[in-house]
Amino acid sequence: MIRRRSLLAASTVLLAAPAIVRRAGAQAAFNWQQFKGQTITVSLTKSPRADNLQAHEKEFEALTGINVLSEQMPEQQQRPKMVMELASGRPSFDVTHFSLHVSKRVVGVGHWLEDMRPYLADPKLTSPEYDWADMSAGALRAATQPDGRIDSLPVESDVWLVYYNKQIFADGGVSFPKTFDEMLATARKLTDPAKGVYGFVARGVKNANVPVWTSLLLGQDQETVTPDGKTLLTDTPAAIWAGEMYKSLLRETAPPGVVGFNWNECQTSFMQGKVGMWLDGVGFAPPLLDPKVSKIADHVGFGVMPAGPRAHNCPVFTDAIGIPARSKVKGPAYLYCQWATSKQMALNLVNMGGGASPRQSTYKDPTLMKNNPFGQEWLATLLTSLTIARAGLPEIVPVTEFRDVFGIALTNMIGGADPATELRKATATFRPVLESSLKT
Amino acid sequence: MAPPPVKAAVTRGERPPGRRHRYRFRRWIDQAGLYVSVLILVSPSILFFLWMISLSLKTELDNTAYPPVLIPHPPTLDNFIQVFAKNDFLTYTINSVIVSFSATGLALLFGVPAGYGIAKTNATKAAVLILIARVTPGLSYLIPLFLLFQWLGMLGTLYPLVITHLVITVPIVVWIMIGYFEGLPVALEESALVDGATIWQAFRYVAVPLARPGIVVATILSFIFSWNNFIFGVVLAGRTTRTLPVAVYNVLTFEQISWGPLAAAALVVTAPVLLLTLFMQKEIVAGLTAGGVKA
Amino acid sequence: MAGGLLALRRRKHTYVRRYWMFAVPAALLVAAVIVFPWLFTLFMSVHDWKVSGNTYYVGLTNYVHLMHDDRFLWAVVRTLYFTTAAVVLPVGIGLWAAVCFARRFPLRGAARTVFILPMMATPVAIALVWTMMFHPQLGVLNYILTSVGLPPSSWVYSSDTVIPTLVMVETWQWTPLVMLIVLGGISSLPVDPYEAAEIDGASGWQMFRFITVPLIWPFIVVAAVMRIIDALKAFDTIFVITNGGPGTSSETINMLLYQTAFGYYDLGYASAMVVVFFVLIMVLSLVLLGTRQQELTL
Repeated sequence: MIRRRSLLAASTVLLAAPAIVRRAGAQAAFNWQQFKGQTITVSLTKSPRADNLQAHEKEFEALTGINVLSEQMPEQQQRPKMVMELASGRPSFDVTHFSLHVSKRVVGVGHWLEDMRPYLADPKLTSPEYDWADMSAGALRAATQPDGRIDSLPVESDVWLVYYNKQIFADGGVSFPKTFDEMLATARKLTDPAKGVYGFVARGVKNANVPVWTSLLLGQDQETVTPDGKTLLTDTPAAIWAGEMYKSLLRETAPPGVVGFNWNECQTSFMQGKVGMWLDGVGFAPPLLDPKVSKIADHVGFGVMPAGPRAHNCPVFTDAIGIPARSKVKGPAYLYCQWATSKQMALNLVNMGGGASPRQSTYKDPTLMKNNPFGQEWLATLLTSLTIARAGLPEIVPVTEFRDVFGIALTNMIGGADPATELRKATATFRPVLESSLKT
Repeated sequence: MAPPPVKAAVTRGERPPGRRHRYRFRRWIDQAGLYVSVLILVSPSILFFLWMISLSLKTELDNTAYPPVLIPHPPTLDNFIQVFAKNDFLTYTINSVIVSFSATGLALLFGVPAGYGIAKTNATKAAVLILIARVTPGLSYLIPLFLLFQWLGMLGTLYPLVITHLVITVPIVVWIMIGYFEGLPVALEESALVDGATIWQAFRYVAVPLARPGIVVATILSFIFSWNNFIFGVVLAGRTTRTLPVAVYNVLTFEQISWGPLAAAALVVTAPVLLLTLFMQKEIVAGLTAGGVKA
Repeated sequence: MAGGLLALRRRKHTYVRRYWMFAVPAALLVAAVIVFPWLFTLFMSVHDWKVSGNTYYVGLTNYVHLMHDDRFLWAVVRTLYFTTAAVVLPVGIGLWAAVCFARRFPLRGAARTVFILPMMATPVAIALVWTMMFHPQLGVLNYILTSVGLPPSSWVYSSDTVIPTLVMVETWQWTPLVMLIVLGGISSLPVDPYEAAEIDGASGWQMFRFITVPLIWPFIVVAAVMRIIDALKAFDTIFVITNGGPGTSSETINMLLYQTAFGYYDLGYASAMVVVFFVLIMVLSLVLLGTRQQELTL
């Protein structure tokens, strides 16, 4: 097989025609059926990504003859369960889907997942069509551990943007804001509690609300920790500015009760047609455009994250998929991971609106460019956002505790607390946690 | 001559003759007060369950309507169908049934003799030990047990759940049975012992049949509290070994306002114990009121 | 009767040890499922035991840290606040309910059944329905408030109202238990004191205050102790409805415990918290049981 492929590769070099390369590759027939008959257990986080994977699962089973037992669990349960099971050395799954921005370091420190690099380099296991180099730089960076191991394959990159209600904007005579200050002004203008209309909504519930704050912070060209991950930057003037902005937006222009809103409550509020803007991840778009559940299916707008005083960025969060080092069926598991992150599946994901693809080729696909189900504005916003995307959360081991501590501070701000005080207090509380995590 | 008529009147629930007018008025106020009180006490429960049923029978459109709609128009069973179709609720129901029945059965096996032994020896210290089981926060033994079951590789089975549920069911059974056994007249057992029976036989053939109402109550209550348990399931249950309360919680955390299916799922989870209560309320009340006496 | 019992006791003396054997299997079971994990918890609490890192012995550091941990200390305060309210209200209302249900009236059985349903229903399921009712814009509770002219409440969405709201849910759910326990006491009351009081011309209220309450006091105490233990450990309802939020305004010790163990994977610290929590519960329960003993001897 290798000999044939190198012959064909030589001939394609001579001919240099992509079409022939593809046909040649198909002739070499990567053996998808090499683990036929085996069974793998897949643990998924409940999300549109998981929906996509499960929707196409039968295709994978037909392709490989591998039996798949997959299940979606809400992230609150799936995340701790995954960590506990991996730590104990007896995971009940062969493939795990997880969020890099939550679990990457904790998984990396324990070396609990298989290093994918040998698999990627092995032509017997990786189909030539896979094209690892197609992954965007951001996704690659996210999936690589500090020591160079790549222990997961990126499934999706969720960029953050601002959804807006075109009807409310038209009624209020405003246009989509270009900066955060403009956004605040617009939100204030649109807010009319007597009519039950509010200019803005975003997550207020602790832990989930931190990306909202970091979105604002990225506008000051700053992240929450220094690049080496050792020093907190959460009580700088930029961080306090972002806190003030968060407080004003959610206290003055958001629906009552926002302090308890996670993304699903925000989504519902937005879908009811009562809110002008919703700042969150692009992966939540599909229900908004579904006339069966959304009251505003005809006037949903997608706007790029506004710019801050110093920079124009938006956060990106990557979901990935990996194989436990203790799995007994790593071969079949790897085929699943490969399939799940392949070009076709990435395309499927984007077509069902479940998020942004981590692959560059997806955005060159002609059918996607012409008739995607969410419209040109959505696609344009997505593409622009990908060019300005940056990490939205610090890459540290105790990231959950980080999100809790600062999430609590943010929630207190909505209740009226002073951002500077809260952030300083939270920084002082979290610093020892970060330092102790750097020791191990 | 005065005392006997007065006493008779009082035990009949009346005032002595001669004060009838004022008495009857006061009595009427009293009765009215009682009815109003009962109404106030019972309405939160009725209204809540009515609303729960209403939510589960309404379409999404009705459920997100404001002002809220009480009577669905039209009522729909879609929510219930969706609950069973989208989730593996049948499996979870079976799990709940197996776990609760096993935990209750084992609790009876261990708890009824224990209650008897403690009642006979008047051992308050042992009762305190049982109390400690009640007092300990669940998480204190969940974490080590989770690690243990992980290490033993048992987490894919229902055994961990049954074992941990015993911590709930055994104290309930023992507590109720102590009350019942203490209230039994000793004469029958004594005569059995005199006739040459061992204490085990006296227990088995005399005491147990007499305490049957208590055993019935203990079974019902133990089953209900095991069925309702959430925290053990959340920590210990795997994909296929989930119990209903854990499953219904999973339905919440990712659906956008799908109140219909959520209410339907909640109703499905709690219906068995509610129905059990409705049919066995007399026994339950008797058991809890009698048990309270002896605590 | 007393003389016969005494003779019986003497004969039974030889059986006492045998009767103890009846309790041994249950005691062993409880010991195995609780004692071993407990010892392991104590063991973990003197270590720095994180799931992802190495574990090493740290002595009493975790405990010392706890005593200075603001978040934990606030959790203790909130727990006490929540527990006090979640005991006083059910006991008060339960007492009232017991007095009502002790009287005979038509449909009493049905009313009693409906009244005890909340206690039997699955807490998680109930909590989910309450969550839906609390929704600030679409929930039915705010609709009821606004239709009678009251302002809508933030229920569980504001740090000021969240604990009272949760107390309301707890009260709704567990008052029936108090009612049943106290009812047991009332139904075993003797008639004589009432007769005598009535002859002396006492009013209903006076009879209640000076005869009923002292006689059923032990039952009230039992109900109160049970409520204290359950309220201190309250988990399902709070977890489902607020998960400790908004922020940390409804974070009780038990909630913080769960988050520390399963959110931050800090098992050593969580174990120390468990030990302190348990001591707190034991102390409170024993103090109250002590007052019961005192009352009985008076």
